[in-house]
Amino acid sequence: MLLALPLLLFLAACVLWPLGRLAAAAFAGPGAPALRTVLAAGRYRTALLHSLFLSAMAAVSAIALSLVPAWILARERFAGRNLLRTAISLPLTFSGVLVGFLMIVLFGRVGALPTLLALATGRPLLASLAYTPFGLFLGYLYFEVPRAVVTLESAFRRFPWELDAAARTLGAGPFARLGRVVLPIAAPALGSTLAITFSASMGSFGVALLLSRRFSVAPLEVYTELTGFLNDAVAGALCLVLALLTLAVDRLLSGGQE
Amino acid sequence: MRIAPRRVARLTGIAWTAATALALLAPILLAAGGAFSHAAFYGQRSEGAPVETSADLFRYVLRIWGEALLHSAELVAAVVPLALLLGVPAAYAFRRRPFPGARWLEAAALAPLAVPGIALAVGLLETAGGVPRFLLLTAGHLAYTLPLVLKTVSNALAGFDPGLEPAARTLGAGPFEIVRRLLLPLLVPALVLSSLLVFAVSWGEFNVSFLLATPLLETFPAALYSTYTANSFPVAAAATVIFLVPVVPALLAIQALGGEEFRRGLQA
Repeated sequence: MLLALPLLLFLAACVLWPLGRLAAAAFAGPGAPALRTVLAAGRYRTALLHSLFLSAMAAVSAIALSLVPAWILARERFAGRNLLRTAISLPLTFSGVLVGFLMIVLFGRVGALPTLLALATGRPLLASLAYTPFGLFLGYLYFEVPRAVVTLESAFRRFPWELDAAARTLGAGPFARLGRVVLPIAAPALGSTLAITFSASMGSFGVALLLSRRFSVAPLEVYTELTGFLNDAVAGALCLVLALLTLAVDRLLSGGQE
Repeated sequence: MRIAPRRVARLTGIAWTAATALALLAPILLAAGGAFSHAAFYGQRSEGAPVETSADLFRYVLRIWGEALLHSAELVAAVVPLALLLGVPAAYAFRRRPFPGARWLEAAALAPLAVPGIALAVGLLETAGGVPRFLLLTAGHLAYTLPLVLKTVSNALAGFDPGLEPAARTLGAGPFEIVRRLLLPLLVPALVLSSLLVFAVSWGEFNVSFLLATPLLETFPAALYSTYTANSFPVAAAATVIFLVPVVPALLAIQALGGEEFRRGLQA
């Protein structure tokens, strides 16, 4: 108990108290005007919906792309495996601004891809793709694929393959095994991978700070409120809704584990 | 000639994995390459200083962002030992001396992973705006790095026999001797791994740092943002390379130690 006391004090003072104050500020005033503003139709709700939509799309796509690499890294032995794993996990250390910069290098106004396409076709194709909602999506995908691969790989390593083998000896075909053995056992791992990638996207700020033009996301609105309009109450309410949405989806998907 | 389908599946899978790695590496190589290619290749530059060679570029970046680099180094130097001091004893208590509310406290310590960094930064600013910024930055970084320490040390503790400490006690070892001669040696890999994870996350952290930073106290990732928006491509590329220099060896070491706890990475 005494050993955990410093942690308790730190969390109380530096995490729970500030977040509590944020919640209190959001509810301050008769009828919680700040919270009403955020939830009413308008730019804040739009930004929240954008965040939800973008994060969900990116999480699902990242997992779809990551299933095969995670499987290969977990189950196959081949030369260069560790090299590939290291290369894939390198972006885990990148903050959002770096990812945003990489997207500009690839898909910006004079990015690598538009320049190559212009050389090849003689016409400006896909120029400034980085600054569209799809460019933002690609940025999110860039930092989510490594998370998804690493999480799924550790799940695949712990997977009880002998159950699958047992089902096969009992005469189950590949689809029956997938649907009735593999997927039910893998479901919690898939859920927690979704939760991890989803919450990483919901909080992501740096990518949108560099790439977002008209398509705003919630963390960006918080920043604009704070620094542009000095509107602490609305910024706080927006943060609160964002944090609660993220925590709720996280809980739902990971089924209370972790 | 017939190729076994199993073999085809394996090769396709490996090719897919290699393609994923390549897709993730390509922009990094392109961006870093900008710091080492001929300056004239990129046309007009916005910098007043003469930046012709790569060495000029790096000197220029160090001149304009040297302070920020120093602040990031100081912050990391404060966050790594503090995260261990707070996290390691708590992880031990959670695994070996459960107390009422321990599960709740552990969940609270892991919760920041699902809270957007900007939310915590706003909360810290509203509650303790008068506190020196360096302390606020340290607190924000600790909130996002403690979960990594807790998970790493918990996993390590789960990996060895909980009967060792009672055995040492029966043999007459005092609490300090148990820590020094039993627990510390067993936990060394976990402590090294935790330090590396905390270092990697703290070094790259942007969401909390950017809001809490002041013009006098900027971290290097915050400086990266300024560079990406204000400087020419070769300068931005050189700054990116400087950012990556300590990250890559840390990551290699994390991989060598099997850092699965890193899968959440840092908030982008």
